[in-house]
Amino acid sequence: MNAVLTIASLTLREAVRRRLVAAFAVISVVLVGASGWAFYKLSHGGAFTSGETNVALPQAVVLFMFMFSFVVALSASAVGSLAVSSEIDSGVLQTVVARPVRRSEVLLGKWLGLAGLLGAYTAIVSGLQVAVVYWTSGFVEPDPAAAAALVFGEGVVLLTFVLLLSTRLSALAAGVIGIALFGLAWLAGVGGTLATAFNIHALHTANEVSQYLLPTNGLWQGAIYYLEPSSFVTQQLAASPVGQGDPFLALAAPPWQYLAWAGIWLAGVLALGLVSFERREL
Amino acid sequence: MLPARSAERAAVAGHGASDPGGCAPPGSPAIHTIELSKRYRSTVALAGLSMTVARGEVFGFLGPNGAGKTTAVKLLLGLARPTGGEAMVLGAPAGDLQTRRQIGYLPELFRFQSWLTAREVLVLHCRLMRMARPGWAAAADESLHVVGLDGRGDDKVGTFSKGMQQRLGLGVALLGEPALVVLDEPTSALDPVGRHHVRVIIRELRDRGTTVFLNTHLLEEAEHVCDRVTIINKGRSLATGTLAELKVRRPSARLRVTGLPGGWWRRLANFGRWSEQGDWLLVEEMAAGRVPELVAAIVALGGRVEAVIPEQQSLEESFLKLLGET
Repeated sequence: MNAVLTIASLTLREAVRRRLVAAFAVISVVLVGASGWAFYKLSHGGAFTSGETNVALPQAVVLFMFMFSFVVALSASAVGSLAVSSEIDSGVLQTVVARPVRRSEVLLGKWLGLAGLLGAYTAIVSGLQVAVVYWTSGFVEPDPAAAAALVFGEGVVLLTFVLLLSTRLSALAAGVIGIALFGLAWLAGVGGTLATAFNIHALHTANEVSQYLLPTNGLWQGAIYYLEPSSFVTQQLAASPVGQGDPFLALAAPPWQYLAWAGIWLAGVLALGLVSFERREL
Repeated sequence: MLPARSAERAAVAGHGASDPGGCAPPGSPAIHTIELSKRYRSTVALAGLSMTVARGEVFGFLGPNGAGKTTAVKLLLGLARPTGGEAMVLGAPAGDLQTRRQIGYLPELFRFQSWLTAREVLVLHCRLMRMARPGWAAAADESLHVVGLDGRGDDKVGTFSKGMQQRLGLGVALLGEPALVVLDEPTSALDPVGRHHVRVIIRELRDRGTTVFLNTHLLEEAEHVCDRVTIINKGRSLATGTLAELKVRRPSARLRVTGLPGGWWRRLANFGRWSEQGDWLLVEEMAAGRVPELVAAIVALGGRVEAVIPEQQSLEESFLKLLGET
């Protein structure tokens, strides 16, 4: 366990020294500041009725969190892809793995450090966003903590998957594949909501399968649910039944069985990554 | 200058004071391989390497580029798995986790985290070696001193030259007073002063009983420090022995002589095989210690000896001969 914590703290120190934390901070300030300005204009701009504002605010929150979840996913893919393969290529790992440490401890330490970094980033930006939205508009999401946890889960799922790829592929390949599959999973989700609205069975099946193969979009759908007041959902469905096809609308909370599957998937892919790195020849 | 090993120092370093040589059975060789082989798909990197390295000796592992030297080192350290044969290091199977506490390794191609200082790199490796915390600072300072990086401990590794990084790598390899130090091309990036310094360190390691496994293609480095060497090519060992054993040809001498009478070579044929090289006469395969006798014989014939240069076949000549390059 000492080796795991050593590598985890080294990973965090690298993030600070190489200005990754500073970059996250700048991005956060820009994101939250820009969204604060937008929410203020939405609430006090005078161009909308209170009813229109009540409809627009939840959707704006969801859109912001969608953009933020994309930043989290990109960041997870970028740091995950560089964590192993680039250090093998550069020779940094040669001296580390020759020490009396298991390779699985090295990978687990990196995962822990990077997951911790993503978790802190998600928590801080989500918290700031809740404060800014409330301060500018008075709107409070139904369960922002649950939404942030699911966005974090989305990031950790992608991080773990890209780390697995990084044990065998180049950093570039691992990162690109991770982001491409993340995008495909989201597209499958869009297809799924359209399938529900227009009763297209094949699209519905494709969405179901993709949610289990790579749980990122399923977790994102769960985050949406915790950002929208139930009155808003009811209102949207009443306005148009085809509203079920809105990819930024979630009709139900994620079932516990799906969350359990995401946890099992995460543990399984992490274990696969540990085995893969243990057997990798340097 | 390496500090003296002591039980107290070993205890601070986190190793048992009664276990200075590591966790291996006493008397076992430092390295022992039997038909060790490695194949990468259709490429045979190592084709059955058998060798024994005794404890406390400086062992040279020589060969041309692509001979399989680095592959063999990786198999010994568990960085790759063999496809045949076996290897024991300090009495345990190669790659054994606990045995790695007693091994220091300087890879041929390596980098340290450029954003860490030299001292932080050393402390990181102290942690990875599970060294007791009270000993970290002292161990790091000692290593910096031994490799000549005093005063650079707080500088980022990213500001180091290649030579300085190699010195730091050597310092990392020497942490914790390992029983076996594996050096893969340790002087490739060093200037002549640095190379001399490394040779001094290697000799001091031998004097304190540490086994040094020196992987190099620089034959003069092996000639300076090694007790025994093995020469490998195409994944196989061609010859193993002391330097004296490997330099199989008898000594020769090169002379500049004037005034010799005609047919002199018949009178001096018993000294060896004669040939002319410009202004010089070369006598080969002469028995050792006969140079004074040869000079006296030339003078007796009326010749004037203007220069005498005794010669011995270099390791390079033996090396090239074994590789079939001469």
